[in-house]
Amino acid sequence: MSPFVASRLPSGNPFARSSRSGAGLNSKQMKSADEQAKQTQIAEFEQQALPLMPQLYGAALRWTRNPSDAEDLVQEAFAKAFVAWAQYQQGTNLKAWLYRIMTNTHINMYNKRAKDQAKGGLDELEDWQLGSAESVTSLSSRSAELEAIDNLPSDTIKNALHEIPEEFRMVVYYAVVDGLPYAEIAEIMGTPVGTVMSRLHRGKKLLKKLLSEYAQQEGYDVSETEEKQGSGA
Amino acid sequence: MAEFDCEETKRHVHEYLHNELSEQELTDITAHLANCDSCEGDYDVENTINNAVSRACADVPPQELTDAIMGRIRDIQNGVSH
Repeated sequence: MSPFVASRLPSGNPFARSSRSGAGLNSKQMKSADEQAKQTQIAEFEQQALPLMPQLYGAALRWTRNPSDAEDLVQEAFAKAFVAWAQYQQGTNLKAWLYRIMTNTHINMYNKRAKDQAKGGLDELEDWQLGSAESVTSLSSRSAELEAIDNLPSDTIKNALHEIPEEFRMVVYYAVVDGLPYAEIAEIMGTPVGTVMSRLHRGKKLLKKLLSEYAQQEGYDVSETEEKQGSGA
Repeated sequence: MAEFDCEETKRHVHEYLHNELSEQELTDITAHLANCDSCEGDYDVENTINNAVSRACADVPPQELTDAIMGRIRDIQNGVSH
């Protein structure tokens, strides 16, 4: 009897359960085959899905904005992914599949907040409403600003990222940090590619504005910040 | 250098940085950038921000998370009766 057939038999099979002599062996075999199938599934999941966990955690941190909620979200997403593992088609993009599950998990876990934000009509905002960062700096001071942004502490950059709306933030994260193609981001976020493009554009614009402000606070204007080391030159 | 003016070049900055351009667009924009300090500067800013964001987001998950996930999965597997 092949393990495949054995694992499909209902465990309540009276023949398998009650027979003492010959069938007793069958019952044992069935049990071990079933056990084996379970172990195989766990091993497969551990080998394929688990190595992607650090990447999911990175994205979860951007969704939730704090480590403890991020851990909850990742754990929940992996639990859901494992339950749905039979539906994953081997050879297709596993990372995108997991990301999609995590997106949905996040929306379910934080349903109200996500809905509130989605209803804000962010995508309909005109460019001028997002403010302009384009001409904040003149060409001559640009290299100083670039250096100041380069020198901003990671926490400051994360704060800026966390200040921009969720939908924009995640598209920026997927494109910039994960380097995902637009089509894949669209699939993960459940939006058309055009929406990905405009969210990236707008997200970066908001981010640039915030970072420029932070950089200015850090004092990239060299004339007044001689005593500060590392910022501007 | 083809039809790419400054406005169009600036508009394509993200597509350029994220490899979402056609061969032709890439050629045209690269040519424009080589001759335009203003656009090149804009591209530098976006690129710098991208690098800063990537650097800031290099978070490593806690070691316990792997164990927690695998524990949870074994629980799920054991809870399912076949």
